[in-house]
Amino acid sequence: MRRGSIVQLIVIGVLAGAVASAVALIPNWLPSSASREAGRIDFVFWFVTGICIFVFSIVAAVSVYSVWKFRVKPDDDSDGPPIHGHTGLEIAWTAVPALLVTAIAIVSAIVLAKDDAAGANPLRVNVYAQQFFWSFSYPGYGDKKSDVLRLPVNRSVVLEGHSKDVIHSFWVPEFRQKQDLVPGLTPTLHITPNKVGTYPLICTELCGLGHALMRSRVVVMEPAAFDKWASRKGA
Amino acid sequence: MAAAHAEAHHGPPIANQSSRVSASVLGMLLFIASEIMLFGSFFTAYFFVRVVNGIDWPPHPFELPVFVAGVNTAILVTSSFTMHWALQSIKRGNRAGLQAGLLLTFLMGLVFLLTQAREYSRVGFAPHDGAFGTIFYCLTGLHGAHVFVGLSILLFMTIRAFRGHFSPEHHHGVEIGGIYWHFVDVMWIVVYSTVYLI
Amino acid sequence: MTTLTHEHEAHPGRQGPAPPPRGWRRLLYPGLLRAAWMAPLFFGIGCGIVVLCRWWGGWQPIWFGEIIVLVGALIAGPIGFLAGIGAFDYWVRYAIGSPTKPEDHSGHGAYSWRDYFRVNTDHKVIGIQYLTTTIFFFLAGGLLAMLVRAELAKPGMQFFDNQTYNGLFSVHASLMIFLFVIPAFAGLANFVVPLMLGAPDMAFPRLNALSYWLLPIAGIMMLSSFLVPGGAFAAGWTGYAPLSIHQPLGTIFFNMGVQWAGASSIMTALNFLVTIITMRAPGMTFWRMPLLVWANFTTSLLVVIATPFIAGSQFFVMFDRVMHTHFFDVAGGGYPLGYQHIFWFYSHPAVYIMMLPGFGIASEVISAMSRKPIFGYRLMALSLMAILVLGFSVWAHHMFVSGMAPWLRVPMMITTLMIAVPTGIKVFSWLATIWEGKLNFATPMLWAVGFVSMFVIGGLSGIYLGAVPIDIHVSDTYFVVAHIHYVLFGGSLFTIFAGIYYWFPKMTGRQYNEKLGKLHFWLTFVGFNLTFFPMHLIGTQGMPRRVSDYAPQFANWNLFISIASFALGASTIVFLYNMVTSMRRGAPAEANPWRSLTLEWQVSSPPPIFNFDEIPQVVGNPYEYGVPGARHAVLNGDRAATETEVRSR
Repeated sequence: MRRGSIVQLIVIGVLAGAVASAVALIPNWLPSSASREAGRIDFVFWFVTGICIFVFSIVAAVSVYSVWKFRVKPDDDSDGPPIHGHTGLEIAWTAVPALLVTAIAIVSAIVLAKDDAAGANPLRVNVYAQQFFWSFSYPGYGDKKSDVLRLPVNRSVVLEGHSKDVIHSFWVPEFRQKQDLVPGLTPTLHITPNKVGTYPLICTELCGLGHALMRSRVVVMEPAAFDKWASRKGA
Repeated sequence: MAAAHAEAHHGPPIANQSSRVSASVLGMLLFIASEIMLFGSFFTAYFFVRVVNGIDWPPHPFELPVFVAGVNTAILVTSSFTMHWALQSIKRGNRAGLQAGLLLTFLMGLVFLLTQAREYSRVGFAPHDGAFGTIFYCLTGLHGAHVFVGLSILLFMTIRAFRGHFSPEHHHGVEIGGIYWHFVDVMWIVVYSTVYLI
Repeated sequence: MTTLTHEHEAHPGRQGPAPPPRGWRRLLYPGLLRAAWMAPLFFGIGCGIVVLCRWWGGWQPIWFGEIIVLVGALIAGPIGFLAGIGAFDYWVRYAIGSPTKPEDHSGHGAYSWRDYFRVNTDHKVIGIQYLTTTIFFFLAGGLLAMLVRAELAKPGMQFFDNQTYNGLFSVHASLMIFLFVIPAFAGLANFVVPLMLGAPDMAFPRLNALSYWLLPIAGIMMLSSFLVPGGAFAAGWTGYAPLSIHQPLGTIFFNMGVQWAGASSIMTALNFLVTIITMRAPGMTFWRMPLLVWANFTTSLLVVIATPFIAGSQFFVMFDRVMHTHFFDVAGGGYPLGYQHIFWFYSHPAVYIMMLPGFGIASEVISAMSRKPIFGYRLMALSLMAILVLGFSVWAHHMFVSGMAPWLRVPMMITTLMIAVPTGIKVFSWLATIWEGKLNFATPMLWAVGFVSMFVIGGLSGIYLGAVPIDIHVSDTYFVVAHIHYVLFGGSLFTIFAGIYYWFPKMTGRQYNEKLGKLHFWLTFVGFNLTFFPMHLIGTQGMPRRVSDYAPQFANWNLFISIASFALGASTIVFLYNMVTSMRRGAPAEANPWRSLTLEWQVSSPPPIFNFDEIPQVVGNPYEYGVPGARHAVLNGDRAATETEVRSR
């Protein structure tokens, strides 16, 4: 390979990487982050994005360069060089992706373990899903009932999921956490909200004809305001 | 060019046989592999109900007729031996042995299926009586359907045997049907030991 | 279709099957006419059995609609149809002990368009039957997708109620998966694989014919669910229990449709495996098989082993519904998550069933049109096997948020991410094959290279989904919708188009219109990316999938996607126009327009009725482009050359 073509190849790769980075950075890919878990998950997201941009640039450089340089005129009937393989290259593109995915797996496993651990003195909340609405109860506050999930900021929360009919799924995009609620099982979900605000709560598992409208809200409050609300009688 | 040559031929060229296994035996073995996986999916359901959910097996007050089913098992296993005898007979050119073997196998299979039906009517629970009834009926029923298919194949083989279609050189039909029948038997031993015994 | 009667002119002495008898005897002659009365007859018999059983068992009401529909219309009626068109004639004759006729090949080959509407044992005819049928269901599924996008163009409800909307996307997915991608690959392979192997036909031609005729039954069943009370099945193509158990009647049309389609693909796969193992031409060792054959070999193994699991899962749902069993019913001791485990144990391998044949097509096209040997042939074949093995150990990655045992997540994540390695090998090997090649960008090559680039994007978004923490955020969102369309549309469909254009001259004996082919590619390529790439974005931002209504913040993007999707849908018109006109009036094709080395190109276009006059002798590897004097196979009339060549190697 001539030096000129290596330079061209690198230029295409850098350009492709730049385009991919622009696609990754300019639009707002992720909603605002409102929990400690979200921060960690976002880290994995950007970690994987970095690796993907790297892989994409290489692939784009090689394919764009090939399509540009190696196309022939319709009347050219000659054959290409009979290259059957290259052991070194083949080992390289087996080993490097293996290493990259191993790195992703390790990072993911660590984040998963952290996200699955509840903090000290967690607030327990029961989440009830049924066709097609959400309800919540707070066993620590005299089983107080609510149609809107209210949570104190900066306190670990353990959500215990219950479904009364079919499978639903609890998702708050700003928390990045999601859990299917299955009849007969009580899966748990750990969230530590760290930003006061109101966020949408969405059902993401097809649960019947009202699925699209099965939404609610999550209100993250200052601890004092939450305590005041929670100790009040009634909903 | 090829078209011009085709004029001389009135059938396809004989395909090259690139494996020692004959196509029909291999086909039957692959079909059985697929069947095993079908049973596998039913056993997976059994696993979820019995192991993951951990229900009583059988739950009070139901009881499984272990002894009757055991006798039934013995009948089915014996029928595998008569099937084998039928195949060996035709390989040696003994047509009477083939006919007797197939007839005996068919009759034993029929007795098995009728006993199973009798068991269903007396066992005292139905498919909708909890997950236990569901799994019991579906596993034994799936197997029963296979016995039914096996019996049909045996019936066809028997008819052809009495009409004299098999010979020491041409007994592929017996061999392939026999493989299926042995599979049905072995599968029953698995079903019997998982559903009735353990 | 008229060009497909080419073989007729080539064999003036042969007239195909004997003409059907005249008068009322015609009703007994196997064909659509006999099917027209046997299907209702069997339907009646099915109903009779149900009523008799219910009367005997004392169940009320004796006349119970749901079971009548299930047994009569979804099981007995189709069997009557198959019996009527004559799919079972030979076996029935065998079974009742009448002497079977020596094979006269009267059911083989196509001499007029009518021969495409009967039970035909010629693998080439069956391949074309497969392809036209699957393209019909592709159009039906595509129209449903257009309706889905029309509803989603604005937030709020526009055209449909929720249940209808849920039915639209459920039937769209089911048709595309079970009636288009899987059988379209089976159709291409049906035409090509026996030719590539140097075999005169498949191992079991009658089984092959039967497996085709199961398809229209399955497809019509799924489509007709729109007509029953309560509307089409609306629990998604995944049909998760317990939701699917408590849906209107249309659900059993899905349950049974899957059984028929599944039976069809198991039979075909079994046939492929036996053909590949026992009918290779002399000299065709496994390491000399074209990669398309390798791909169909691995795919068929997947089908034979995995498909029974989806059969099981749909049986369980149906039993829970009609027999009130308790597979997935918590109150009765059932286990709802069991459905997902059993379903995905098939449906994850199904992803590879829908992709590996495409890998094979891409390898054929890229190697022939780059005029270079495929790079790392053995590693390409081995990576297929690696995907096969790994494919069975990753099903639970569809269930990271399902509430299954948490300890399963990390092992499943590791196996899932590991699949990136063999797929990466394939992508890099294709790129290395293109490198320094003499690229001829005819339409098939455009599709193949387009496939590689789109599949890279689909593969990279798969890495996001494989990493559990990201998956927790994006699962069941439009990110997943984008991902599956990048791998199934940009992956499978692009390779199906590559295959259709590549083998079009071989199948029809005519050349397609190159300009229209390129136009079709570019319209699809641009429309596809504009439609599906933004879905990644709205997915991560928080739009769930399978919703008819959504938050106003996604309105602009959805409008954009809907407009792009209509352009994408319109590009199909170019394809259809090209196919129909080229089939009728295209320029006659040469035997080997791509100067390819594999065996199907060494015979005339379309191939002679029995493929080869003499079984060819394979003497070398299939991709020896640029190697001076290299040959893959030697055909008849060249015996002397064969023997010296065989000896010298």
